[in-house]
Formats: sequence, C-alpha cells, structure tokens
Amino acid sequence: MSTAVVNKATKIIQIRRLYLFLFVVIAWVSLATIFRGRATLALPVSENSPFNDRVGAVAAAIRAGRFENPAFIYFFNPLREIIDSAVQLVRTLIAIPVSGSIIPVVGWFGVIGIVAFIVYASSNFKFTFLAVALLLGTGVLGMWTSTMDTIAMTLTAVIFSLGIGLPLGIWAGLSDRVLTFLRPFLDLAQIVPTLVYLAPLALFFLIGAASATIATMIYSIPIVIRITALGIRGLNNSPVEASISMGSTKRQTLAKVQLPMAKQTIILGVNQTVMAALSFVVIAALIGAPGLGGPIINALTVRNVGDGFVAGLAVVLVAIMLDRSTSAAVKTKKSFVPPSADEIKRRRLNVAAMGGFAVLSIYLSRNFLWAAVWPENINTSKIVSNATNTFVDYATTTLYFLTIGFRELITIAILNPLETLLAQSPWFLTVAAIAIIALIIGGRGVAILSVILLLAIVYTGLWRDTMLTLTQVIVATLLTMIIGITVGVWIGRSQKADTAIRPFLDAGQTLPAFVYLIPMLGLFGPTRFTAIATGIVYSIPVVTKLVADGIKNVPKSMVEAAIANGSTSWQVITKVQLPASKRSLLLAANQGLIFVLAVVVIGGFVGAGGLGYLVLLGSSKPEMQGKGLSAGLAILLLGIVIDRIAQTGARRK
Amino acid sequence: MSEHNSEAAISVRDLWKVFGPKPEELINSEDAKLPRAELMKKTGNTAAVVDVSFDVAPNEVFVVMGLSGSGKSTLVRCLTRLIEPTAGSVEILGEDILKVNTSRLRHLRRTKFSMVFQHFGLLPHRKVIDNIAYALEVNGVKKEARHKRAQEVIDLVGLTGYGQSYPEQLSGGMQQRVGLARALAVDPAVMFLDEPFSALDPLIRRDMQAEVIRLHKEVGKTMVFITHDLSEAMKLGDRIAIMRDGAIVQMDTPENLVAKPADAYVADFMRDIPKSHVLTLKSLARAPKPGEATDGPELDASTVIRDASPIIIQAGRPIRVASNGKPLGIVSSEDVLKLIAGEEQ
Amino acid sequence: MKIKLNSRNAIASLFIALGLVLSACSGAGVDEGASTDTSGSTTEETATEAVAAECGEWNIAMHAWVGYTAGAQVLTNVGEELGCTINQVKLDEAGVTYDAIEAGSIDVIVEDWGGGRWQEWADRGQLVEVGENGNVGLIGMFVPAWMAEEYPDITDAANLNKYAELFETSESGGKGAWYEGPPGYTTIGEKMIAAGDLNFQVISTGSEAALVELFTQAVENKTAALGYFYEPHNLFGALDLVRINWPENDWSAPEEADGSTDYPKSPLIKIASKNLIDSGDPFATVFQNWTWTNADQNQIAADIEAGTDPAVAAQKWIDANRATVDGWLG
Repeated sequence: MSTAVVNKATKIIQIRRLYLFLFVVIAWVSLATIFRGRATLALPVSENSPFNDRVGAVAAAIRAGRFENPAFIYFFNPLREIIDSAVQLVRTLIAIPVSGSIIPVVGWFGVIGIVAFIVYASSNFKFTFLAVALLLGTGVLGMWTSTMDTIAMTLTAVIFSLGIGLPLGIWAGLSDRVLTFLRPFLDLAQIVPTLVYLAPLALFFLIGAASATIATMIYSIPIVIRITALGIRGLNNSPVEASISMGSTKRQTLAKVQLPMAKQTIILGVNQTVMAALSFVVIAALIGAPGLGGPIINALTVRNVGDGFVAGLAVVLVAIMLDRSTSAAVKTKKSFVPPSADEIKRRRLNVAAMGGFAVLSIYLSRNFLWAAVWPENINTSKIVSNATNTFVDYATTTLYFLTIGFRELITIAILNPLETLLAQSPWFLTVAAIAIIALIIGGRGVAILSVILLLAIVYTGLWRDTMLTLTQVIVATLLTMIIGITVGVWIGRSQKADTAIRPFLDAGQTLPAFVYLIPMLGLFGPTRFTAIATGIVYSIPVVTKLVADGIKNVPKSMVEAAIANGSTSWQVITKVQLPASKRSLLLAANQGLIFVLAVVVIGGFVGAGGLGYLVLLGSSKPEMQGKGLSAGLAILLLGIVIDRIAQTGARRK
Repeated sequence: MSEHNSEAAISVRDLWKVFGPKPEELINSEDAKLPRAELMKKTGNTAAVVDVSFDVAPNEVFVVMGLSGSGKSTLVRCLTRLIEPTAGSVEILGEDILKVNTSRLRHLRRTKFSMVFQHFGLLPHRKVIDNIAYALEVNGVKKEARHKRAQEVIDLVGLTGYGQSYPEQLSGGMQQRVGLARALAVDPAVMFLDEPFSALDPLIRRDMQAEVIRLHKEVGKTMVFITHDLSEAMKLGDRIAIMRDGAIVQMDTPENLVAKPADAYVADFMRDIPKSHVLTLKSLARAPKPGEATDGPELDASTVIRDASPIIIQAGRPIRVASNGKPLGIVSSEDVLKLIAGEEQ
Repeated sequence: MKIKLNSRNAIASLFIALGLVLSACSGAGVDEGASTDTSGSTTEETATEAVAAECGEWNIAMHAWVGYTAGAQVLTNVGEELGCTINQVKLDEAGVTYDAIEAGSIDVIVEDWGGGRWQEWADRGQLVEVGENGNVGLIGMFVPAWMAEEYPDITDAANLNKYAELFETSESGGKGAWYEGPPGYTTIGEKMIAAGDLNFQVISTGSEAALVELFTQAVENKTAALGYFYEPHNLFGALDLVRINWPENDWSAPEEADGSTDYPKSPLIKIASKNLIDSGDPFATVFQNWTWTNADQNQIAADIEAGTDPAVAAQKWIDANRATVDGWLG
C-alpha cells in the first residue's frame, strides 16, 4: 500500500472518530439535561459513606495499635526514631540551637562558607556567587532560620533517598525482573499528587520532622530509581558488550564501565531528587515539617498574602540555589576529557582557598555573635510583606474588573456548565460517557479499566466530589493547553522568544506548587477558579516546553517545503508544524493533566472544594479521617483514569 | 552430529540460535525452513542462526559475509557466548565453549579470545592506554605490567603518542585502531571482528583493511571476520562463508565462490566482483592447443589474473603457468580477454 | 575524572579541618562571647546561660488563628524567661496535632476547640487534657453589619430564605452561598440548611483566609456575605459583623446536633503531652496554672493584627500584667 493511501485511510478514521466523539458529547449533554439532578450520589461534606466508615475504622484500629502492635513497636516507631535523630542532627548543624546554646553548630556565616566551598568544588565561580547571593537573600528576607530548616530537611531526605534509591535504581538498571517489579510503583508515583501521600503516612509515622522526612523520602525515592535505572539502561551498549567480551565480571562491568558512563545522568537524577524533595518538604509542613512551608500554610489559613509571599519568595530563592548548584555539576558538554594539568593545578589552588575560607567562616560563626546569628536589623520581611499586601489590595480593588471579570467569565461560561454536566447528571450516565470517550480515544482496554476504576470511585461514596475535582482539572488543562500551545509555538518558531522566555519556564518548573497558591488567592479570592489558575500557572512551563520542543523537532525540510509551496505562517503552523508535532502535543496534554491534578487538589485550601478539601478535612477532624483517606484514594484512581486515557491516546497514531 | 575437527582452531557444529517464546521447539523442525515473516507469524520465533557448522584452521582468516539481518552478528556472538546459542556445539582450541562454566568462560575471554566491535565499544571515560589495558586490568594484571604491554600494542597498531588521549579526541579510524589494539593486548589465540570497519569512511576503511592484513602477517592469529562488504571479504578472507537467513549458503575460497557459485543467490552477489581481480592463473591454465607457443615466461599459478595480464600482453604469446615449479599449462591473452569480456555482459 | 577526585579530596580535607575547628572551640565560643561581651549580648541570652539547666525544651503547636498566636506567644515568652527553650511549630489543629503529640514532636496545645475529639489519644496515654484556659469560644453564622441595617429581620435564621438570592454567586449553583468554616473547625452548616430547609449551598472555604477575605470584601464593598465566624476573634474590632440567631443551643458534640439550634458556647481546653506533665518542669507548672480572658487575648491579637511582632505584643501584655503572670509561676 502506498503511503498516500495509508494517510488517507488514517484520515478517514480520524474524521470518523471526531464525528463519533461529537455525537457522544451531544448525546451525553442531552441525556444529562433530561436527567439532571438525579442519582448524583451527592454526599454532604460532614457525612461519611459506608466505605468511608470502614476506612475510618481501619485507620482508628491502626491508631489504636501505635504503642502495642508489633509492626509499630519493631518497625514504624524505631524507623521514625532513627530518622528523627538524623533530622535533628542535621538541623542542629545549621538550623536549630544545640541544646544549652543559642546557635546551631554552624552559624549563618559558616553556612555561607560551606555552601560557597561545595558549590565551587563542583562547578565554578559564577554558580558559587549565585548560590551565596541567593542564600543571603533568604537571610535578608528574615527567613534565615526557616530556610536552614528547609535545607536541613531536604538534605536529610535526599541523603536517605539516594542511599536507598541509587542501589535500587542500579539494580533495576541491570535486571529486567527488578524493573518489571518496580515499574508499577514508579509509574504510580508519577501520578500521585503530593497531597495524597501525607495522610496515610501520618497514620503510620505520625506527625513531626521525622514523619515529614519519611514522607519526602517516599516521594523522592521513585525519582532516584527511575532516573538511575534509565541512566544505566540508556547507555550505548557496545562498551558494555566489549567489557563482557573481555571477561569482566558483572561487578567489574558495573564499576568500570556502566557507572562511570552513567554518572552524568545519575547526577541529573540527584538534581531532580533534590528539587522534588524541596517541593515536598514545603507541603510536608502539613505533617510537621519545620521550615518555610509553615509560614506559607499559615498564610493560607489566616489571610496574610504578604507573609506567605515572603516565605514563598525564600522557597524560590532556595529552589534556584539548589537547582543551579546541583545542575552545575552536570557537565553541559558531553566530554570525558579532563582539563589540562595547568588548569587542574590552578583549580586545586582555588578550591583549597575556598576551603580555607569555609573553615575560617565556620570558626568565625562559632566565636563571634555577628557571624553566628543573622543580624536582626537586616530583615526586610515586614517591608516585603507589607508591600505585597499593598500591591494585592491595589490589584484586587483596581484590577477588580480584570481579575474578577475574567474569573466570572470562565466560571459562568465553562466551569459551571461542565460541572453541571459531570456532577449533576446521574453517575451511570457520566461513567458511560467517560467510558465511551475512553474507547474512542484509547481503545477497549483503557475503556474497561476506566469503568472499573470509576466504579471503584462510586464505591468510595465520593463520586460527586470526584466529579467536582475532575471538572476543575479539565477546565485548567484546557486553558493550560491553549496558553501552552500559543507560547510553545511562538518560542518553537522564534529563537529570540525562546531565549527570552525559557529562563522563566525553567525557573517556574523548579518552584513548588504551593508558592503559587498565595498570589493566586490574592488575585482571585477563595474560589474554584483560584485552584484552576494555580494549576494553570504551575503546569504551563512543562506544557510550553514540550510543545516548543515538538515544534522545533519538526524536520526543517517539511517547513521549507510548505513555505516553498506558498503557505502563510498561519498555514505553516496549522497545517505542518502542529500536525507534525502531534505526539509532543499529546504528551504535553498528558503531563498537563497530571500536573494540574496535583495542584487542583491543594486548591482545597482556597475554597475549591472537591476531593482535596476532603483530604484536608480528614487530616484535621478525626471523625472524618476515613473520608479523607478515601478522598486520597479517589484522587489516585482519578489520576490513573486520566493518565491511562491520555497515554493510550497519545500512543495511538 | 558430525565430529569436531580436532585440528581446527574453531570447530562449530549444528549451531542454532532462535529468539522467541519457545526456541527449542524450532531446532531441526520443518518450520525452521520457512521464510522469516511466515515463521514469525506461525510460531512467534525468529531463527537468527540456523544449523551452522564450519571449521576454522589455525591462523586462517575466516570471513562470514552476509547482508544485514542474515544472522552473521548473532553467529559471532554465539561463538563467544555473548549470546547464548539455543543448540549445537562450539569448540575453540579443543574446548567446548558452550559447556564451560562462567568463570572458565571469563578466563578464556580474558586470555584466549578477543573481539573488535562495529561501533568500537571504547570506554569514553578512559584514556586510550587504559582502554587497551582493560582486559589485563580485569584479569588482575598490575598497572605497570599492563601499561607496558598496552604501550607495545599501541606502537604495533600505529598509535604511538596517543596513549594519553581520550577516545573522543581521536578520529573514527584511530578509534578502531584502539579497538584492534585492545583486542591484541591479551595476545589472544582467536580474534573475532564484527564488522569492524563498516562505520568508517571508504578511504579509511581501505587503510584499516591493509592494517589487518599487515597485522595478520606479523602476529598470525586465527581470525573470524564479519562483514557485509563483499570486496572486503574477498580481500581479507582465506575462506568466506556466505550467510542468508541464518544459514550458510556457501563456504569456500574467494576464487571458488567466484568461479563456482553454489546457487543464484551467491552468483548474484558475485556478479559485481571483477573475476580478474579474484581468480588466479590456476583457474585459466589449460593444455596448449596445437600450434600455440609454449616458450612464454613462466608465472606462478597463485598470481591473480589482473596482475598477470600486463605480463601476458607484453609477452605477445601465451605464458606458462606452474605451481611450485610443476607446469600446469598455459594462458593466452585471448583467455584473459574472454574472462574480462564475460564480466562485462 | 581528575576534577571529581580532586574535589572529593578537597571535601574530605575540609571535613577533617571542620572537625578540628569544631573540636577546638567545643566550648561554644559564641555563648561565652555573648555573656562576657556586654555590648553585644542581650539580657535574654544571658538568662539562657544562667538557668538553662533547670528548664527543658518544649514544642508549642502553632495553630493559624491570631487569638491562638497571642496565647502561644505569651507562654513562649514566659517559658523563655524561665530559661526554657520553646519551639513554635506551625501545625493544623486537632488530629494532626494529636498525632504530633504521640510522635513526641508537640508538647502544648494552647486552646483546643475540638469538644473532646482528643479522647482517643488521651486514652492511649500520651495526650493529657489540662483543663480550661479561660477563653470561651462561640461559633456562629455572620453577615456584614450593613445587611442587618438594610434588612433588619435577616438576623433571625428563620428569615434567611427570604434573602437567599442576595447571597447567590457563580460558585453557589443558583442558591445562596453559605461559607462554611475551614476543615478543622467544628461546623454543622449542612445540618442547619437541612433542618431549616434553607435555600443555601454550603461552600467549603478550606481556610480562615477565605472567610476573612469574604467578610473584608463584604464590609468594604457592601456586598452580601453569609459565613462562619467565631469569637474570640480580634477582627471583630476591625470588621463590623452581625450574628444570625438560631434557637438556643441544645448540644455540645457536633454529632448530637440536629441543625435546628445554634452553636454552643465552648470553653477552650489546654492540652499537653504526658512528657511535659510528668517532667515537673517549671514550664509544666506555668502551663497548668495559666488562664486568662477573651479580653486579654483580644488585646494582644489586635496588636499583632496591627503589625506588631507577636513576641513584642505578648511582652507588652506580660509587662502590663506582671502580677497575673507571677501567679502562674506557682
């Protein structure tokens, strides 16, 4: 068959699928209108479903065994205590006073010295300067101690995560069986929103710095494993084969060939782990992580956008610092050739000098008050906080018509109608409609899976709340895709735009979702739209980058041919570049959905309701714990449904 | 199963490699004769090596020639068990490779045979000298001793002065010289070369082929050389095995392959090979016809026709062909012309 | 490779040097410096040195609302005066904090509104109910004062339906918007709506911020708003809110409520860890003895809300009420 015929056939199938899709939607909407309000399975917030009660009873039984059950006595409690002593050790190094003293082992100036030394030893002066400047920035914001706590928590979690994750990752890199076993967990870990981890872990590890560290580890270990395994599997096979052919043992091949070659990828994995741990430590304030997360959550709970902004800004500074310092160690050019002997000598001198400075700064920070405790008068937190509040007040009063107008437009035009469709129609109609759409997009397997998982959600008793969350996810993803594709196409086509915008996208990608919530709350008030807007802002960087890379990867010859045929720019974009980068677009949509889901659920903090709110409700009201845990489960199930439909859709041509 | 040839350096009997869900069931079955696509459809298996047997004499250069997908790379990997064969036996230097345990296999790999790879397989994070010394290193040879040996082979392959460089600093041809040096470092009895030059530019490829011929003259070694390039096979091979769909179609000297292709497939291959470049006077020698001059210059029977033709033309009469002083017959310029004309058709 | 090795050596040597530096000044030079260098040190730090041995290190749970901050900060200041190390740990209330007490990461809850939800934890032994702190909490549903002026009968819950459509927003699905308290707070809004057959839709705000935002907008822009609020709350000074009245309360635990009557007046409870109570520590005594009034709390809370640092605001109150504070010391 010639390719033209194949193309034509695919096209016909695609057009048929589109008509089919439209038909399903129309049928769905009409049926939903007829049966509106019936069998919606609405459950009042303060009531538990039978399933919630059962989960609650299990949770209560687990709680009851905290000081009696062998699993607690011999595993959970000792583990928590071990991690606790590790966390407290690292904290007393840089963050909290050693008992009987007023300062940690190393005062602020000493920390600056150590950071300067470590960053310099692994990269260069430019990054050292940047790291020191950013760190000083957190001090100037009046957040030194909280920042140190956050860094201490992050580092402890990262060290443990690497200790566990690297060997497992290497093992999974070498053994297909291990990878097959781990893969479902790794895949799941990519879908589960951070918020969902907290409650079940708190059940076993309680609340506090140790619990938060363990939760952070559980979040970041899959990332270490995934990247390490990929790093080893992605290696060029011929050196490995050569090594075996020369009679190396497996251990020799691993140590002398695979690990040295995968080193760069593994360092990249460390970078990703650090960033993931940082973002998790911020949200882990919900289960007692000390540091910058506390003020942010506090600012959400009592309305103080300014204070939250100060802490959020400190998180941003730390995020950039940790990202730049760890990614600086990843060489930009893929060369294994070391620098010349002269350079090495010069560098050694510099590193030694920097080490000398570090030692001196530690000495000073232990012997002089000015170097030990961050000077009180260098503290701009009040100024920044007040300025932020003034700005937000100004924005909410002056830009009222813009922000609130936009919010109302989206709410009335899209959000409410979609919510009516999903949440106000009979549950079986919605399940059927989603299943048929899954069938059209992804095929029979994923349709069956969707039905099973949706029925499971129905069984949890949280159907309606799930639909509220799904509504927000869909609206946020739609808006994200519109913005992401627009900007992505722009920077995919213009190098100038790319240079100008990409740094912001990179920076945006490193920030924990939590820090976005505060300014959005200021602009849009406590509504569902705030959750949506936060989801959009959080997922735009990843979506935009994927779209831009897709556009860039369209073969030049295709674009040139289209231009040679006399296409306008618009025609080139719509008829060549977008269709040719369809895979990237679908991947972007998939990523967008998952990112949005993670953020929309924390919208429970700002009045978005839905499953996220129930998670929060469950963690603070003991009698609602069963419902909160069930809500976490429902989020997980919803995440899998969304991910599977989008993934199989993307895989099909 | 036929007996192994105890004289041979490598003796392969009834070797099979089948990829798929139930590889054993395919051995010696009728299905194995099906075309690949049908076999895949019917059994889900791919037969990469089908019932292969051959012997390689000591110091022989044995070339396995075939198009991509013919199973030649799988075959060479089966010989050293980089890929485990499904059935059959492989004797190298009198030892059944498929029966040895892993530590013995490792020992053999470290000391008795070595391999050169298509994509070089150099370790990018190691200097040239440490790449070359690698096999010695994993065998526990002390640094000084292994560097001394590495330096010797560096000089042998013409890389003098590059020991401290990193692979990425070298050109493709030089990188493969490192690959050759690495394979020579352990002074192996048998070398396996898996399309070593196919990733190189044509000019560099020619140099490297000359290099292999030179090295083979200097250090001997039994070589199994895999290639998809017929002219390379002709140039290097003492004998050539032509593979198709996993099986050996014909195995013979270059001359005989050109002169007597076993089937249309091999003949088709050989069509583009100028016979005069491969065949020797031996293949043209005949009894003189009545009236032909028999006092022309004498040439050895192993002289390639192309090299003999200027002499024949200059002589203006048939030349005499002799093997080790024993006369075999004569060859006239007409005979040479006929042969060349035959190629043109 | 070389670079890496090189920096690894360097890091190793740094840590050796670091160890030497640390051991060389294991006498904690700064503290000595702080107590001998009179110009550089504050009295507080000198005090730390003086009595550090007698009082331990304790963690106070910091709940979000300002009234709570006021109480927690007073206890912190008093504890530090006694030479204790007091850490303030920001945490959500109720279940989360009870779990934290069991994990040993929290020792004090300054005021708990939970109406006995801690019982299960108390039964396991690590959590101890210490008694009332003197504040009395009252939850209710409120509207901005301008609405009470414009529609005088709105303050009676029985008339709410009449005005339901005033409260309609794009969030409330065609009914009046009923802004409910944050997740941890005691709420019976859904039952109230059901019992009174009210044409309202509960909106889960998720945070107190949302409520404050709501009422601030409502007071400033004269928009309609019906929401959950409570006393003592310092914002009653700044925001003019009027309470909607239901029939007299007849329940104490939310499960017992049928929704037809108002929230109860609840005395707020102090909770401590067993560790603290068993320690015989001066701070335990202070916490057990501590009580105060809504007015005391509001005074500090108002200062904090006006921008004063909590520690300073609390100290101001302590200095003004020294006799009361001394009474707690036992």
